[in-house]
Amino acid sequence: MRKMSLIVSVLVILGLLFSFSLVWAQEGASELEIKTADAAFEAADKGNPDPAWKGQKLTIGVYSAGPRGAISGPLYFWRPYFEKLTGATYDIVEIPFAELREKIFTDLMTGTGTYDIIVGPSWFYGDYISNDWIIPSDKYLNDPRMPKWEPESILPPLQELYSWGGKWVGFNNDHDGQVLYYRRDILNDPKWQEEFKKETGKDMPVPPKTWEEVYEITKFFHGKDWNGDGEPDYGITMHLKVAGQGFFHFMALSAPYVVSPAPGDDPKKVTRYHNVYWFDPETMEPLVNTPGFVEALNMLLKLSKTGPSAMWGWSLGEAWDAFLRGKAVICFSWGDVGSLSQLPDQSSIKGKLGVAPIPGSEKYYDLETKQWVEKRNFVANTVGASWHGVISKFSKNPDLAAYFLSWQATPTINHWNVVWGWTGVDPGTLYDLLQPTGKSTIEEYVATGYDAEDAKQFVSAYEEMWYKYPLKQSYLRIPGTPEMWEIWDIHLSEAVTGQVTPEEALNRTAEDWNAIIDRLGRDQLKKIYQEAIGYKPE
Amino acid sequence: MKKRREKGNVFVIPAIIWIFVFTIFPLVYSFRVSISRVSYGKITGLAGLSNYIRMFGDYRFWGTLRFTLIFVLISVVATTFLGLGLALVFNRKMRGLKFFRSLLTMPLFTAPVALGYLGVMMFYEENGPVNVLLKYLGMGKVPWLSHPWWATLAICMVDVWQWTPFAFIILLAGLQSISDEIYEAAIIDTSSGWAVFRYITLPLVSPVLGTVLMLRLVDAFKVFDVPFSLTSGGPGTATRTLTFYIYTQGLRNFDLGYASAMAYFLLAITMVIGMLFFRRYRELYE
Repeated sequence: MRKMSLIVSVLVILGLLFSFSLVWAQEGASELEIKTADAAFEAADKGNPDPAWKGQKLTIGVYSAGPRGAISGPLYFWRPYFEKLTGATYDIVEIPFAELREKIFTDLMTGTGTYDIIVGPSWFYGDYISNDWIIPSDKYLNDPRMPKWEPESILPPLQELYSWGGKWVGFNNDHDGQVLYYRRDILNDPKWQEEFKKETGKDMPVPPKTWEEVYEITKFFHGKDWNGDGEPDYGITMHLKVAGQGFFHFMALSAPYVVSPAPGDDPKKVTRYHNVYWFDPETMEPLVNTPGFVEALNMLLKLSKTGPSAMWGWSLGEAWDAFLRGKAVICFSWGDVGSLSQLPDQSSIKGKLGVAPIPGSEKYYDLETKQWVEKRNFVANTVGASWHGVISKFSKNPDLAAYFLSWQATPTINHWNVVWGWTGVDPGTLYDLLQPTGKSTIEEYVATGYDAEDAKQFVSAYEEMWYKYPLKQSYLRIPGTPEMWEIWDIHLSEAVTGQVTPEEALNRTAEDWNAIIDRLGRDQLKKIYQEAIGYKPE
Repeated sequence: MKKRREKGNVFVIPAIIWIFVFTIFPLVYSFRVSISRVSYGKITGLAGLSNYIRMFGDYRFWGTLRFTLIFVLISVVATTFLGLGLALVFNRKMRGLKFFRSLLTMPLFTAPVALGYLGVMMFYEENGPVNVLLKYLGMGKVPWLSHPWWATLAICMVDVWQWTPFAFIILLAGLQSISDEIYEAAIIDTSSGWAVFRYITLPLVSPVLGTVLMLRLVDAFKVFDVPFSLTSGGPGTATRTLTFYIYTQGLRNFDLGYASAMAYFLLAITMVIGMLFFRRYRELYE
């Protein structure tokens, strides 16, 4: 009898734990979130789920940020809906940022197949493709079982990150690119504008269009108590800790100094010297230590002195937090900042947000003439991870994996993820942009808690950068990319903390990149690089 | 008799298998990897000694080795001195002795990686507890995690915090094993506490002190968790240890040949230290 009651007790406890795990995903979710998610779920295309999937289970490897954190959060949130829809479920394996490569690549290298789905960064593609590790999403686009998503709705610069060799390989999810965030209320305040003019002899450029203008503003505000809390505040906030994704800041900042327009009718044409950022496409010699990069690194160093010195040890969270709680007047980062600024529990700047496309530069370096060109240059970026799912070739249930990813990629569910800041999913499709370019409306954003002007500025900045900027920075997708970026990150950190000069840091980077290229095969990488950037040798 | 001995040998077989599988095989295999070219986990050819030669021209290798040696020096000396000091303080009858002993040993039972993340909070430069305390004491803000030397110090402090209790427990046991009669006899000859410590306590506790030093040295050379979690090896590579670099090359960049060669180098260092230590130990006490 005692044994029986023990078994019953254990079963009751297990049952309770199971029930808790089901509601866990919704823990912390507001009524509005649940209501809008239910509506998105109802409106989303559901395809025709195979009844044979009932009872099956997938394993998803994803960047770790917890049940209410970026990228991993939506997987927890939508799991009960997926279970309702298919009768199948999935395990979420969270992997810290610093361990993503070793965990995922080891699994793929050994063919273990732990993860059916990998929600990873776009810079893994060089290795995915050259080793034939993933099943392209193209295969499932016309499968009648799959929910219909719209790959063509992804904005053109970002489409390149989801495709390879003209075929779709990933499933739509996140869309990264850095833009400039500033305090609209402070920069537009006549009192501060007047003081700025008095101090610098110039009108305050609002919003700043170039990095030189950004520097003037951050230098002016740094150390002043412009938020009235009785303490000196910061001009800018950045995340510059090694392994804290700081190199993305430099990537976005350096682009206008490095990428130059092609002469002639088509400024976007990729030649050996124009519209290239990473390598000389003829020799695979790194461009990272050319004068454009050195100038940009000097600018980054100048900017870093107009923020707290602590940011040399900051990762993403700390840098965003300083801006969101009103301590910094400017930051430049991904779409997360725009949507997080609207969450009252994380931000004190709702209704005060200004957003502009990523600044350009007052000059750029022409690699062909080896001369500086004194002309403003604007270059759009897609820096970041653009986290999205791919199906492992070693998945034991690739069809179910494709169903899940297709369903998450449908416009209504993807757009829901975009408007809720904690998901880490950033805007980058036509249904995220405002009419008439896009399909969305201000009312849609306001309905989920956005301030109307903030939302307008936020979405329009991305629209302007990705549609109106004359040039764009290419994304690096060759084997060895993660290793190259890690090395770059380390050397940049050495430069910003004064251990080496900017020139030395960039020379070291070039030297290390050359060693990696030689190790992995220069000719093979050159071929992939040329294809990736659309360069045709003459 | 012979049969009995043969029967006895059977019981040794599991231990032999264990040693072959978990010690000899990995050692031989990693040596093979260290003289091979490896791409994405697969051996693609023979590299000869090139991975070993590469080490000598790699400034990052020398940088990490330099930091490792600095860390070992600071950490081992500090833990041993502090551990000895605490052991001397607690080697007496006093109220609440058990409570304080338990309290002091607590960091030892914490995972180093957890202490590293705790360190991130403690040394947080903007209003972290350590800087707030310094501010309260009228001192300036210290860039604990963003300046190479301060970050080195922060890592050493976390390591010392964790490992001082280890030295403390062992040295306290060593001190308690010294007979009271020896002290009583010494007190008749001198009233100087320092003389008692220098000529009685230190020589008698030396074997234990040597063991502590040896274990700490080997352990400090292998440190990984604290720099990984506290500073990620930064700023730049200022706090990257040799084990961290081996891990990065082997498991992040999958350059397993080079990583194995460096691992052999580290093994050689710790073995040399071990041999020197035991030789000296035998000379002194046998």
